Amino acid sequence: MNKPKIASDWICGCAGCHMSLLDMDERILKIVELADLRATPITDLKEPDESGVDVGILEGGVNNSANEEVAHKMRKRSKILVALGDCAVFGGVPAMRNLCGVEAALKRAYVEAESNEPGSQIPDDPELATMTQARAIHEVVPVDYNVPGCPPDADTIFYVLAELAQGRKPEIKDEYLHWH
Amino acid sequence: MLQITINGKQIEVPEGTTVLRAAEKAGINIPRLCDHKELTPYGGCRLCIVEVQGVRVPMASCTLPVSNGMVVNTETEALKKSRKFILSMLFSERNHFCPFCQVSGGDCELQNAAYHEEMTHWPIQPGWNNFVVDTSHPYFVLDNNRCILCRRCVRACAEMAGNFTLSVAERGAKSLVVADTDVPLGESTCIKCGSCVQVCPTGAIIDKTSAYQMHDKDLTEVKSICTGCSVGCSIKLMVRDNRIIRIEGGWHGSVNHGVLCEHGRYDPMNESRKRITTPLMKKDGKLEPVSWNEALKAVADQLRPLSGQKDGIAAIVSTKLPAETLTAFKDLFAHNEIVTTTEEGMPTASVTKFAEKQGSFEGKLDVLSNADTVLCIGVDAGRTHMVAGFMFKRNMPKGTRLINIDPEENELNDLANLYLKPKAGSDLALILGLQAVIVKEGLGRSPLALPDTDSLIQKAVEETGISRDQLTQTARVLANSITPVILFGKGITAQRDENLVEELYNLAVLVGAVDSERLGLLSLKGEANSLTATLLGLDQIFELNGHKAVFVALGDDYVSRSFVERVSKVSYLVVQASYESKLTAQADVVLPVTVWSEQEGHYINLDGRVQKTQKVFSAPENVRDNLAVLNELATRMNISLESNWKQAILARKSSVALN
Amino acid sequence: MQTKRAMILVSNDPESVRLGANELIQHLTEALIAYDLQDEVEISPLSNVGVSNILPLVAVYPEATVYGPVKAEDARFLVEEHLYKGRIANDLLAPPKHLSGNIGWLRAHKGYNPAEQRIVLERAGRIDPENIEEFIAENGYQALGKALTETTPEQVIETIEKSGLQGRGGAGFPTGRKWKFVRMAKGEKKYIICNADESEPGTFKDRIVLEGDPHTILEAMAIAGYALGADEGYIYIRGEYGLAYRRLQHAIEQAEEYGFLGKDIFETGFNFHIHLHTGAGAYVCGEETALIESIEGKRGEPRARPPYPVTHGLWNKPTLVNNVETLANIPAIIRNGAEWYRSFGTPSSPGTKVYTIMGNVNFTGVIEVPMGITLREVINIYAKGMKPGSILRMAQTGGSSGSIIPASLQDTPMDFESFRKAGVSLGSGALLICDQNTCIVDLVKVLLQFFRFESCGKCTPCRVGTQRAYEIVARISQGQGRLEDLDTLISLGQEMERAANCGLGQTAAVPIRDMLKHFRTETEAHILLGSCPAGKCEMLPEVEHV
Repeated sequence: MNKPKIASDWICGCAGCHMSLLDMDERILKIVELADLRATPITDLKEPDESGVDVGILEGGVNNSANEEVAHKMRKRSKILVALGDCAVFGGVPAMRNLCGVEAALKRAYVEAESNEPGSQIPDDPELATMTQARAIHEVVPVDYNVPGCPPDADTIFYVLAELAQGRKPEIKDEYLHWH
Repeated sequence: MLQITINGKQIEVPEGTTVLRAAEKAGINIPRLCDHKELTPYGGCRLCIVEVQGVRVPMASCTLPVSNGMVVNTETEALKKSRKFILSMLFSERNHFCPFCQVSGGDCELQNAAYHEEMTHWPIQPGWNNFVVDTSHPYFVLDNNRCILCRRCVRACAEMAGNFTLSVAERGAKSLVVADTDVPLGESTCIKCGSCVQVCPTGAIIDKTSAYQMHDKDLTEVKSICTGCSVGCSIKLMVRDNRIIRIEGGWHGSVNHGVLCEHGRYDPMNESRKRITTPLMKKDGKLEPVSWNEALKAVADQLRPLSGQKDGIAAIVSTKLPAETLTAFKDLFAHNEIVTTTEEGMPTASVTKFAEKQGSFEGKLDVLSNADTVLCIGVDAGRTHMVAGFMFKRNMPKGTRLINIDPEENELNDLANLYLKPKAGSDLALILGLQAVIVKEGLGRSPLALPDTDSLIQKAVEETGISRDQLTQTARVLANSITPVILFGKGITAQRDENLVEELYNLAVLVGAVDSERLGLLSLKGEANSLTATLLGLDQIFELNGHKAVFVALGDDYVSRSFVERVSKVSYLVVQASYESKLTAQADVVLPVTVWSEQEGHYINLDGRVQKTQKVFSAPENVRDNLAVLNELATRMNISLESNWKQAILARKSSVALN
Repeated sequence: MQTKRAMILVSNDPESVRLGANELIQHLTEALIAYDLQDEVEISPLSNVGVSNILPLVAVYPEATVYGPVKAEDARFLVEEHLYKGRIANDLLAPPKHLSGNIGWLRAHKGYNPAEQRIVLERAGRIDPENIEEFIAENGYQALGKALTETTPEQVIETIEKSGLQGRGGAGFPTGRKWKFVRMAKGEKKYIICNADESEPGTFKDRIVLEGDPHTILEAMAIAGYALGADEGYIYIRGEYGLAYRRLQHAIEQAEEYGFLGKDIFETGFNFHIHLHTGAGAYVCGEETALIESIEGKRGEPRARPPYPVTHGLWNKPTLVNNVETLANIPAIIRNGAEWYRSFGTPSSPGTKVYTIMGNVNFTGVIEVPMGITLREVINIYAKGMKPGSILRMAQTGGSSGSIIPASLQDTPMDFESFRKAGVSLGSGALLICDQNTCIVDLVKVLLQFFRFESCGKCTPCRVGTQRAYEIVARISQGQGRLEDLDTLISLGQEMERAANCGLGQTAAVPIRDMLKHFRTETEAHILLGSCPAGKCEMLPEVEHV
């Protein structure tokens, strides 16, 4: 098969952008016709091909060390990298915790919140990823296309994927660059 | 006229036009943020920069005056790059969370500007510093995370409302929009006019009552007139689903040019009275719902025999109702002695009486815009008719002086250059005293014969309790002005003495406020249609003397406790009203009628402008139009309502020219 | 002034006062009385002498012997030895290396080196600034008298135009042309403003004039008023200059008393009043329209231009705004003529320039030299060379937004034209001479910190651009920079120059540009090698990247 390969992953996101992708409904058949959907959170493969893919898509921001690994890996294995949705593009809603900092956010979530049991502590298992400032993908690796929206609407996602699948450069403007 | 070529298009513009406005005239839109068509140009955001042939660096088109033969380019690649830079700087400065912002999605000028430049991300991420969100104000939220420091709000507070509450503290990257000396907005000198909200390009200042209730592009816009008072500001209603989402000052308005006061903007939103949704009739001491037919029949049957009889019907109408309704009301009850309004002519009777002798003598509100001294007497322009107050407050930094005269505590005393508190009821002596000082010192612009200036001055000092020095100083400041204006209100007119009005007029002529070129004398009157009512002759004080029936056409107006007491002892009370009140509780028949937004009609404001309100909504099902009810009653009472309001108002001489 | 046989000048600038100058003067006076010399010897205060290491300084004339530092208890010895016995009081002599150049200028206002020429500073340091009679004795108010009684306003303007005098505040705009614009502007009411805000870091040339020779500014402003048709002037003086403010206030009072200011000056019917207005710590108020806004009681934010102050200035009236140094040239030009002024300097930049020399050189202070000398001459002749162990690495000319030039450009003549050709700015005349221990990145970081702090905040490019530029350069100085940062800085600088509202934003980018033009290797060393070649910057440990 010489169809271009597309892979995607989500890091610090809510999965809403992938849901919006699915909102393109039957048009996904067109995408599958044009391209080879490889690893995505909604298909079976879990990692982008080691041999590389043509288009890599990331939803969600880079908010801990594990996210960083995923972002670097996707960048390394993709010819074109797309940041999908506001979290990927600028940090999104999770970036609000940048206003108070990692320490205060962890303390609030794990110790001070009303729903915490008394004596709760911030988890410090060495296997856990280290939390960092909430960052946009482009702060960590170079990004080729930013698709803003929370989430971007299905029409926009379809347009971007269809263009990339046909080897063209999507122009995200006018009706594809707006807020609901 | 000057010639300018923009993007190859050549047009002519008058001298003083900025390049930005010239481009608009040529149909070319230059992106901009800090500029607003109703505020003085600032030149701060730098988004509007253009390339001018012969000039090394780009110039801000919003502040650049056109010079003859100028050649301008607005769409070079370098300019597009510069615009992206400006926007990236702005996004990196504060914390712009579009996902959940109330104006995101079409109502944010910053977002729109970025999308116009096809920016899909922020080239430079923000530093994520925390900025103050001030929620202390009852109506607005000031969120500094969204502020782009365009200073539109500062300029609006200064140039529209003349209140000067908002300013910028610190400088450079530490600049912050603050209220007064950096106090919470809710504890500041803010008078809640909402001018800042109306002009803010982002979601930095948000109106709490209308937030998240649909984007502007999906709301319906209706232009109308505010019926809150006799200033008659133009308003723009943003509506959906048969309710008002937001009221804005109409930029198109010749009276207010976009500014509104707290009452015009929020009173309709704060309406908490209970709507009457069906005709009611008292049966066995209790008000029961009845059909329109039953109610109207009962009223007509009761009033028909009493019409024209001595001490028969006393008819009182609200001056908040349209001219058409007032005219019909007058005709309907024409044969009765008492046909008057809830205001009883307090703001207008003496003024109209004087006009019978003098002709039109009052000026237009525009005369305030270049007044160098404003004398306010008998009016608190900081509390009522506030927009009229804005018109001179905003010129005070440029040198306009305010002289405030009020026996009671007055909101504007802190602001006034001079304020006098004469004893109540001493106005005539005071006015004559001022005239006397001016004549005695030879400062008058035109001759005025005064018998004995010394004794007038003495009398003024004795009766008012004001010192001789204060009287003299006030007179001198007024007389030495070049473009003085005298504003008066109910404090004077409620005394129903046209002699007072005449002496104010004489004072105005004496100091040159009124001459062949200017009419710098005006009264602020009262409600929306006070002037119309008085022109229709509906301005007498009523005194019930065993009247058998009282008909009150209240509309959506309020009614005072003393009014309720005065009419409650009558044997048959009919009230035509929109909302429940102590008056309707006492009535024998209650006829539910439309509110201001459910009817259209004409209003004449305090300076003679004839304006029309629009019908924005349909009335609730069982509620009828004010005019329709009167027409229906007239038919049933065999009275024909012949008059056309346009002719009817000409019956008396108006104190101000009508247009 | 009585004729006395000797004169003792004692420095009484704030630093000298702090070190006991007032007590010294008292002791000297007592000593003179003790030796019955009070009728023969005069004691006079001397304002800032332009040196800092030997205060309080005492100079005795006619021998022009300079003693320093002199303590109060030495006063008797000095008087006994020098004035009574006629011997040099060797123990108190100021070390020669501190004086080279100074004995010269104290001897005559020609200066130690014949190339130094004092026009602006002809009296500063030699007369008592609080005594108008000393000013008058030194040609004071002669120019004003000449202008008012012998020349028409147009002739005055013509003289200034012919002299070729250019603005000395940093912009270099031809002064005569500016005067002409104001004269031609429509309107009865006009203003003269002296820009004494002097906030450019490292510049204190105007301060010398304001503290040492305040009357010359008053005279210049009155001449300008006559020439332009203005009857009112303002001196906008930075709030930090307390002594200068008091000296000016006193000078205005004296001038009014003597009839050189006020109504009917020289009985010609010409009126001129001068008001003093203090700044409040804002560098941006040195920009002429921001200065005007400040006088009007508003935030010191530069206005949109056009229109310019020459037609729409203070209270929207035609206004002349000139720097102190520019004005200080006026009386001399009127007295001696345009041709005389043109005999100094270069054809395109006539006259002299006052420079403040700072940095790793042997002599730091103020000099006044003809336009056109080179940086090499300044360093080697007037600054007495680099300090031992210091090699010239770079110099910043013209204040904080001035150019940073490498040693290779030290032979460029310092006049507006040559500098402009070399792409370098002359600015206000502050010369910061840096040796090999100065790191360019650190210097630029400090400059950007200054601009960020001083930005008025009106326009986006400067308000945010200075902040972003500072952050990037700070990161580079800590070894946290990336190569892309240099491209970002270049484009930041370019856009700030294009889009900023005033000179602060436009020229804040100059240090960045010069850093990348002349010192790119050192900058890249911080990024690529994580080290500072000058050994100045403190590198932070590298941030872990996955």
